[in-house]
Amino acid sequence: MNSLEGFDIRYTLPEDLSYLQKWFEDPSACNDYPFTNDEKSDALKNWIGFGKYKASLTGMINDVPCAIGTLFLMPYRKVAHHCSFYLMVDPAMRGKGIGTSMLKNLLHLAKTRFRLESVHVEIYEPSDLLPLLLKEGFVQFVRQENFVKIDGIGHARLLLEHSFNG
Amino acid sequence: MDEHLTIRFGKESDQKYLIEWLLQPGVLDGFPLHDLREIEDAARIWVSYSSQHAVLTALWDGVPCGIANLYLQPYKKLAHQCLFAIIVDEKMRGKGIGTKLMKDLMALAKERFKLEFIHLEVYEGNPAIHLYERLGFEKYGVHKHFMKDKDKYVDKILMQKVL
Repeated sequence: MNSLEGFDIRYTLPEDLSYLQKWFEDPSACNDYPFTNDEKSDALKNWIGFGKYKASLTGMINDVPCAIGTLFLMPYRKVAHHCSFYLMVDPAMRGKGIGTSMLKNLLHLAKTRFRLESVHVEIYEPSDLLPLLLKEGFVQFVRQENFVKIDGIGHARLLLEHSFNG
Repeated sequence: MDEHLTIRFGKESDQKYLIEWLLQPGVLDGFPLHDLREIEDAARIWVSYSSQHAVLTALWDGVPCGIANLYLQPYKKLAHQCLFAIIVDEKMRGKGIGTKLMKDLMALAKERFKLEFIHLEVYEGNPAIHLYERLGFEKYGVHKHFMKDKDKYVDKILMQKVL
């Protein structure tokens, strides 16, 4: 049990997909991801699919899912020592420290269960996730201008990494 | 060279050449692939873009000697750019095949797919970096320790070119 009242974390189950779909009903929820509202269906199914490797965590408040964080494990051996991740918190449950707790637990899962040496993440400017990532020890190592284009306007992608090797 | 070298769109059946070239000694040092299962998986994905006419195959006297592809982005927000990959048969290097393939691939990206820039991932020490630089690609980042082969780390260099 976490210090957050009524908060707990378990491995993601296939039926958690319906919660993820619900949190993405607001089209602006896609702003932090490469897919658009029209393209999210397959992307969310693929996301939940990593649950079968026990690489995905679901945050619960009073036994109701409120967040999902997932390690996108790499498919090839030479790059299996690191991976990227996605994290989504129920828009109605933000500002309570759930994202921070989920990220800490996801990093712990990466380090202890999968013996990863680092975890990286791709975000697009402007991103509300950036302060949380920096607070948790992520370091930006790439900035690529105009990677994303929304309504004809280019936005940079930032790659950040959290190393477990100090 | 011109009378020997031609370029056509890639086909799914070119996969066997790709696998053959990836298995040549030393080639996998420049790719994040470890064994035949991984090579077959990557080659299948690579040539799957032929259905969108995003793969080019170089032929030397009618025989495949190199393949390049555009990994066209599946999402609208990213559809103005993409990653690409290229390989030339190790036995046929030094004949300008890579340069010709790259120039045709850039033209394909710009004219057919209206891409604004293309980018690549190459591992440190790969001599192909000089080809990319000569063609106007610029480094925009390095992912340190991206590949780990026999306990030796290799950095991934990220380069791009505005078309």
